[in-house]
Amino acid sequence: MDVWSSLMDGFATALTPMNFVYAVIGVILGTAVGVLPGLGPAMTVALLLPVTYALEPTSAFIMFAGIYYGGMYGGSTTSILLNTPGESSSVVTAIEGNKMAKAGRAAQALATAAIGSFVAGTIGTALLAVCAPIVVKFAVSLGAPSYFAIMVLALLAVTAVLGSSRLRGFASLGLGLAIGLVGMDSVTGQRRLTFGQPLLADGLDIVVVAVAIFAVGEALWVAAHLRRTPLHAIPVGQPWMGKSDWKRSWKPWLRGTAFGFPFGALPAGGAEIPTFLSYVTEKRLSKHPEEFGKGAIEGVAGPEAANNAAAAGTLTPMLALGLPTNATAAVMLAAFTSYGIQPGPQLFESQGPLVWALIASLFIGNLLLLIINLPLAPLWAKLLQLPRPYLYAGILFFATLGAYSVNLQAFDLVILLILGALGFMMRRFGLPVLPLILGVILGPRIEGQLRKTLQLSAGDPAGLLGEPIALGIYVIIALILVWPFAYKLIRRNRPERRPLIPANSGAADYSD
Amino acid sequence: MTSLTTGLKGRSELGVALLLGAAGVLVFLDANGLVTPYSKSDPVGPKTVPFIVAGMLVVCAVLLAINVLRGGKGEAEGGEDVDLTHPADWKTVLPLAGAFILNILLIDWAGWVISGTVLFWGSVLALGSRHFVRDGLISVALSLLTFYGFYLGLGIALPAGLLEGIL
Amino acid sequence: MTVVVGYVPTPEGEAALTQAIAEARKSNTTLVLINSSKGEATVDNRFAQEGDIHDIEQRLASQGIQYLVKRPVRGHDAAAEVLDAAEEHNADLIVIGLRRRTPVGKLIMGSTSQRILLEADCPVLAVKAG
Repeated sequence: MDVWSSLMDGFATALTPMNFVYAVIGVILGTAVGVLPGLGPAMTVALLLPVTYALEPTSAFIMFAGIYYGGMYGGSTTSILLNTPGESSSVVTAIEGNKMAKAGRAAQALATAAIGSFVAGTIGTALLAVCAPIVVKFAVSLGAPSYFAIMVLALLAVTAVLGSSRLRGFASLGLGLAIGLVGMDSVTGQRRLTFGQPLLADGLDIVVVAVAIFAVGEALWVAAHLRRTPLHAIPVGQPWMGKSDWKRSWKPWLRGTAFGFPFGALPAGGAEIPTFLSYVTEKRLSKHPEEFGKGAIEGVAGPEAANNAAAAGTLTPMLALGLPTNATAAVMLAAFTSYGIQPGPQLFESQGPLVWALIASLFIGNLLLLIINLPLAPLWAKLLQLPRPYLYAGILFFATLGAYSVNLQAFDLVILLILGALGFMMRRFGLPVLPLILGVILGPRIEGQLRKTLQLSAGDPAGLLGEPIALGIYVIIALILVWPFAYKLIRRNRPERRPLIPANSGAADYSD
Repeated sequence: MTSLTTGLKGRSELGVALLLGAAGVLVFLDANGLVTPYSKSDPVGPKTVPFIVAGMLVVCAVLLAINVLRGGKGEAEGGEDVDLTHPADWKTVLPLAGAFILNILLIDWAGWVISGTVLFWGSVLALGSRHFVRDGLISVALSLLTFYGFYLGLGIALPAGLLEGIL
Repeated sequence: MTVVVGYVPTPEGEAALTQAIAEARKSNTTLVLINSSKGEATVDNRFAQEGDIHDIEQRLASQGIQYLVKRPVRGHDAAAEVLDAAEEHNADLIVIGLRRRTPVGKLIMGSTSQRILLEADCPVLAVKAG
C-alpha cells in the first residue's frame, strides 16, 4: 500500500464538492466551539453523532476532523484575548499570549498562534500519514494476547498517568466499564445488568452515553457555576507579524511540533505535557528570556505548535489501533462504532478510502482554518458576547433532540438525564470523565479480546503472556502501577527529608 | 485539619464512595445470577469481567472513602465560564432538570414541537434570560425548524403528538 | 445629597466621571458610581474590570470625595440600574456620558441615555468626551 498514492486518492475524495462543504462546516463549527466558553470539540462531535447517521461516513468524519482541529484554533484565540484562560492545553498559550495582548501585541500573538498551528498541523498530519501505516503493519501481526495487553495499557495510562487523582481515575474507569457491560453478552447471549428491562437488552447506546456525559453533564455543571462577572476581551485588529516576529517564531514552531507529535501519539500523552515542555524549552533557548512573563512571542509560537501537533499525533493510535487518548478521539471512535465500522488495525484495510480521505481532509482543514482564523480573528472574538442562556439551553435542546432521534424512544432521554446527572456529579467531585468514556467504548472490546485469548489457549491463563509483545507490555503496566508506591518509598528513605514539610493534603502521614 | 466544613464536604464525597460501592455490589449480584455452563470455546465466561469490574468498584469505593475521611478532596472541574468560588447554584440547575423532565413527559403524547418549545423556553428562563416573549418565539421557531429539518433532511420523523394533522 | 454617575470604561464614561467628581466637590456630596452589566455573555467590554475600579477608587479617595461604587450584575439593563440607584440614594443629579453621533445616529438616540433623560426624577447632566 503506497502512502503517496493512497493519499492522492484521499485528496480526490476529500475535494469533492460535498465533502469540501462538510470540511468547511466542520472547521467553522470547530472554531466557533473553540472560541465559545463552556463548549468543546468533544461535546460538539457528541451532539452531532445522531445527526450524522444519515450522512455518508466519509463526509461525517471529514466534518468531525474539521471540528477537532478547529477547536484548537478557536481555543487559542480566546486564551489570548480573554483575561482568563480556559482548557488546560491553552493555558500555556495564555501565559505569554495574554500578556502580549495586554501590551498591545494581540495581532502578533494571534498571528503566530494561527500560523504556528498551521505549520504544526500540516507537519503533524504528514507524520500521521507516514506513521499510521507503519503502526498498522506492526499491529496487524499482533494476536489477541498482545492486543489485549495494549488496550489494558491504554486504559491504564489514561487512568493512572493523566489527571490528579489516580484513585478517582480508576473509580471513573470502573463506572465506565460497568456501563459498558449493560446489555447482551456477545458470546453467550445472556443479558447483563438489564434488570428485566427489555429496552436495555441492546445495551446503552454509546451515542446517548457520550451526549449525556459530554453535553448534558457539562451544561448542567456550567449552569450551576456560571461565572457572573463578565470579562473583558482585548480588542484587536487584523492579525499580522513583523519580520522580527517571524524570525523569532519559526524555530519554536518546529520545536513545538517535535514535542507535540510524539506525546500526542503515546497512549498516555495528551497535550498538556508537550505544551508545557515547549514553553520551558523556548524560555531556556530564547535570546530574550527577560521577556518571558511579559509577552514573549516564542512562548506563544512553541506551545501552540505543540498543541496542534499533539492533536495530529493523537489520531495516530486512534486510526491505527483504535485507541483514543483524548475525549474528542474517544467520541470519534464512538462514531466509528455507530456506523458499524470496527476501529483497529484492520481499519486501514477495510475502510482504506475513508481513512485516507479523512487524512487528506485534515490537510485541507488546516489550510481552511488558517484562512478563516487569520483575517477573521476579531470577528470570532465577537462570539464571546453571545448571551449564555441561549448557548446552554441550546446544548440541552440539541442533546435531547439528538439522543431521542437515535431510537425515537423517550426512555433514552431518561438515560440521558441519569447519565447527565452522573456527569454532573463526576465534575463536582473531581472524577475525570475520560476514563469513563474509554471504559464504555473499550470495555466490550477488551472483554472480547480477553475471551479470545483464553479461548485460543484453551483456558490456560498463561496464554495471556503468549506473545513477547504482550509480556513486554505487562512489564510496562507493572511499572506504571508500582511507580507511585516506589516513589513514596524512595522519598521516605531520603536522608535530606526535612520533617517540617507539610504533608500533602493530609493524605499521607509521614510521621508514622 | 478537619474543621466542620471540611467534615461536611467530606461527607458529600462519601456519597460518591457509596455510589461506587453500590454499583459494585449491583454488578456482582447481577453477574452472579448468570448461568454459565463451562464451555471449551469460552473459558472466561460472561461472569468473569463483571466480577472484575465489581471488585474494582468496591475496592475504589473503600479506598475513596478512606481518602475522603483523611481529608482528600476531588478537585471540581474548572473552565472559562465556571466560577467555583460559590457553591452549586441549585436555583438554576433544578429548573433546568425540571424543563428536561417535562420534555421527557411531553414528547411522546404532545409531540416534539410542544415539548421542545417547553424545553428550550424553560431552559433559557432557568438560566436567567428575561426576554420572555422573544424567548418563547425563538423556542417555537427552533422546535418547528428542527421538526421539519429532521424529517426533510434526515428522514427522521419526530413525534407530532397533539399537532398531528396540522404539521 | 448624592451624585449618581453611570460609568463605562470609554472616553464618554471617563468624561462623565470627571464631571461627576467636579459636581460632587462643588456641593460636597457623595458620589455613587454605577457600572453594571446584564451578565448574560461571557464578555462585556462595558463592564469595568477590577484593576480599573481600583484605580478609580484611589482617584476618588485622593480627591477627598465620599464615594460608593456599585457594580450590579443581575440581568437588568444599564438605564434601569442607574435609575434604580438614583432612587435608592436620593440623587440630586445624574451624570451620564453621551457619544457624538453621526447625522443619522442623531435621529436614533442611544436608548440608555434616552431612557435616563426621560424617566429620571432629578436633573440629568449629559457630558460628551473630550
